[in-house]
Amino acid sequence: MAELHCIVVTPEKTVRDEPAEFVTVTLFDGELGIAPGHSPLIGRLGYGEMRVRHGQSTTRFYIEGGFVEVENNVVSVLTNRAVAADKIDIAAAQQQLDTATAQEAKTPERQAAIDQARAQLQMARRA
Amino acid sequence: MAKARALDRRRKSIRSIRKITRTMELISTARFRKAMDRAVAASAYTKRIMSLVGHLSTAGLEVHHPLLEPHAETSRAGLLVISANRGLCGGYNSSIMRQGFAQYKLLKADVPNVSLEIVGKRGISAFRFRKYEIAERFTHFEDKPTFAEVEVLANRYLELYRTGKLDRLDVVYTKFESLGRQRAVVETLLPLGQLESAPAGTKGGSREDSHVQYELLPTAASIVDEVVPASFKVKLFKCFLDAAVSEQIARRVAMKNATENAGEMIGSLSIAYNRARQSQITGELLEIIGGAEALNK
Repeated sequence: MAELHCIVVTPEKTVRDEPAEFVTVTLFDGELGIAPGHSPLIGRLGYGEMRVRHGQSTTRFYIEGGFVEVENNVVSVLTNRAVAADKIDIAAAQQQLDTATAQEAKTPERQAAIDQARAQLQMARRA
Repeated sequence: MAKARALDRRRKSIRSIRKITRTMELISTARFRKAMDRAVAASAYTKRIMSLVGHLSTAGLEVHHPLLEPHAETSRAGLLVISANRGLCGGYNSSIMRQGFAQYKLLKADVPNVSLEIVGKRGISAFRFRKYEIAERFTHFEDKPTFAEVEVLANRYLELYRTGKLDRLDVVYTKFESLGRQRAVVETLLPLGQLESAPAGTKGGSREDSHVQYELLPTAASIVDEVVPASFKVKLFKCFLDAAVSEQIARRVAMKNATENAGEMIGSLSIAYNRARQSQITGELLEIIGGAEALNK
């Protein structure tokens, strides 16, 4: 069976460039699973978890916005930040959440900060 | 004796200078490699963004976004000058300054309000010396600018542009063209103008059909909304990375020359020292012989 190739790039570096069997990414409105043979797709990512299954192991990343592009069994994820699940800085995320919730004005930036922090905390807890 | 000793002292001090410049050369070589690796890593993202834009446009999508359109009237411009925090890097800072001053004058002639923002201590002091008003100054960008740091700046520009407080943004930085060639250039980042896109079919040879139907989630407009700021950010980030790489190259070249010059100087001083010492010895010998002759009489 055809296999996926999963590429994760941030502006600073290429985080992952390896084959995969199944990829799950968080889109703006929920999770999307990508199996080999998926139709071409360009999607906008949200803040949340990305899982890459290859063989027996599953790698988990926290990703922050960006895009996913699927074409020809190549999944490219372009994101501002990609952090391995066990490297999430819980203290920083908690602090971001606290300062954001303390803000009075309900700006989109505040909401984004809250969503980012919550997604990170959730992932860290699950790990 | 005095002259020979003075020469020897000078030779010693030049030796220690050579040691220092040699070390600095090695350090900047190492830093340059790291900066270069980062720049190469970053270009993967740029390439993918470009191919994404290419795919969007081949999908028959018109890319429209307020960031791409110039404002009707340009009354407020920003000029960002990226210089180094440290000197001793040859003509790096001075060529940036030359470009910066010229561009500032040019903007001043066209646009009533120009706000000057400068990265790097060298640039700040040069502009302050000429009594220009500096709106913002940044010194926290070292040889490893991170995307998170640059993003803060980029978000501020985007906000200003969106709210109409900024109509144009020019960046003066040193563009890395090749290992042997870096140039101080001026680039207009806002309005973005046309998004750069990789021509269809460049990504691998496997794509013979450029008319792949993409499923766009959620909508094309929403994706464009995200692509345009992302490509602005990555462009700005690239400016910083290029500047960092070029600075290290400039420093390495400058230090290499300094080391070579010190070596030459040590050579010529050694010759002068040996001559002085020899003539001194000859003089002393003549005196001794003269003295002995006088005693024998």
